[in-house]
Amino acid sequence: MILFEPFHLPFMARALVELVVLGALAGTVGVLVLLRRLAFVSDTLTHTVFPGVVIGHLMAGDGGIFWGALAAGVATAVLLTLLTQRRRVSEDAALAMLLTTLFAVGVVLVSRQTGFTSDLTAFLFGRVLTVTEAQLAQTAVVTVVVVALLAVLRRPLLLRAFDPEGAQAAGVRVGLLDLVLNVAVALVVVAAVKAVGTILVIALLIVPAAAARSLSDRLAVIVPLACLVGAAAGWLGLVVSYEASVGYGVRLASGATVVLVLVAMYGLAHAAGFVRRKAGLSRARRRSVLEAA
Amino acid sequence: MSERAPTLVLDRASVAYGDVPVLEELHGVVHEGEAVALIGPNGAGKSTFIKALLGLVPVVRGRIEVLGRPPAQARRDVAYVPQADTLDPDFPVSVEQVVMMGRYRRIGWLRRPSAEDRAEVADALERVGLAGRARDRFGTLSGGQRQRVLLARAIAAKPRMLLLDEPFNGVDAVSQHALLEAIGSLKAKGASVVVSTHDLAIAHLACDEVCLLNRHQFGFGPTGDVLTPERLRATYGGHALELRGDRVIVTQT
Repeated sequence: MILFEPFHLPFMARALVELVVLGALAGTVGVLVLLRRLAFVSDTLTHTVFPGVVIGHLMAGDGGIFWGALAAGVATAVLLTLLTQRRRVSEDAALAMLLTTLFAVGVVLVSRQTGFTSDLTAFLFGRVLTVTEAQLAQTAVVTVVVVALLAVLRRPLLLRAFDPEGAQAAGVRVGLLDLVLNVAVALVVVAAVKAVGTILVIALLIVPAAAARSLSDRLAVIVPLACLVGAAAGWLGLVVSYEASVGYGVRLASGATVVLVLVAMYGLAHAAGFVRRKAGLSRARRRSVLEAA
Repeated sequence: MSERAPTLVLDRASVAYGDVPVLEELHGVVHEGEAVALIGPNGAGKSTFIKALLGLVPVVRGRIEVLGRPPAQARRDVAYVPQADTLDPDFPVSVEQVVMMGRYRRIGWLRRPSAEDRAEVADALERVGLAGRARDRFGTLSGGQRQRVLLARAIAAKPRMLLLDEPFNGVDAVSQHALLEAIGSLKAKGASVVVSTHDLAIAHLACDEVCLLNRHQFGFGPTGDVLTPERLRATYGGHALELRGDRVIVTQT
């Protein structure tokens, strides 16, 4: 069957595991990003991880990418937390400056290499088909760490997202909590660098959560649903790009195909959500008519 | 005058954001089971007063003591009720989940809510008259009902002091009545209540004491003594009183 057949090839199987795990991880973290309205902050993180990737690669080859990304990701997570705590500078402008500056640093560094366009493409858009077992292990470790962290902190995270002043009043250390979430986002970006690159990972974070949100109002449903949408998009995206290139001779970049599949799934979820809300409204109307009678 | 224990002591206190003093010369005492209304124009520092009681704005001169402790150390026994319309109505939480947030301190990070936690949540919702809405999404309720849910969250925390920031703003009559009832029953159980409001009638109705504020304190004491036209004129300044204060005072006397 077309959904399973490509994954007899070992490199395809590795890519599948990587994308399914990443999709599930990013889906989970994405729900918090969505609730906290941190899409732009997360996008900044994805861009600032880029120079770290380049520096890591320059220093230690492919093996250095993860550690370079990790260092840059955690450093900018700290910086962003500080920046968003004090609102003196216009936050948007500050983020935009940070994003482009560090991105430019990455491009300058990479452009000094010979054959840099190929490297640049790999860093920006990922090469999921060349994922190694060591990288799978890194993704798995990041996933376990991040999911455990969010599970333990789920109550303060929820309270802080819903009612920041109430959280402070209740003694929640909001600054520290924000740092944890920013680092979690950074870790997702780091884990995803190899597979989908620094640019496309933002879609992995935002789109599954947005799709799940339009299908449900309950967090207990939204989180697993976002997880599922992220994982399913990884799988389907791989199948589509494999079929297109092997079956029809059309080469589709797998990372970008995953993103397009995600967006298509969001479109479907949004339509379904629209229908659901309409049905819900007419149910509520019937109920209020019944109560009035 | 009262044999009850003091729960809030303000001793010539000034609070400031950085170098800029926001409120100066706060002085007064509130006892167990008493409610104090914070009255003053917009920008007078009412919200800052409440934040100071939570230890979120530093005291730069004098002393503030909440339940016998510095404010930041009393948070465990203090519940804060924000204005409902500051919260995102699209947020995917149910009424029950919001009220359960009041129990988080007792539940901790990992344990599942116990039968007692659930019973307290149900009881708190009952007390604000919203027992039937537990499963509804928070944002689908009216403004007044959302305010009642936030009060229920505070009730579920079993506080010894309750701080409410403008809870009656834009609230319908039914919700206002429900809020006043619930605040009254908390007082009866010995909790102290600090509530900021524009509404002098509510101050008369629900509060034993009044604190008049506009950058500094214009009066603190029993409602009848403090809510005088002269003091209100001093607090609000000439123009503001012409527009709003005078008319309210007339209906009160």
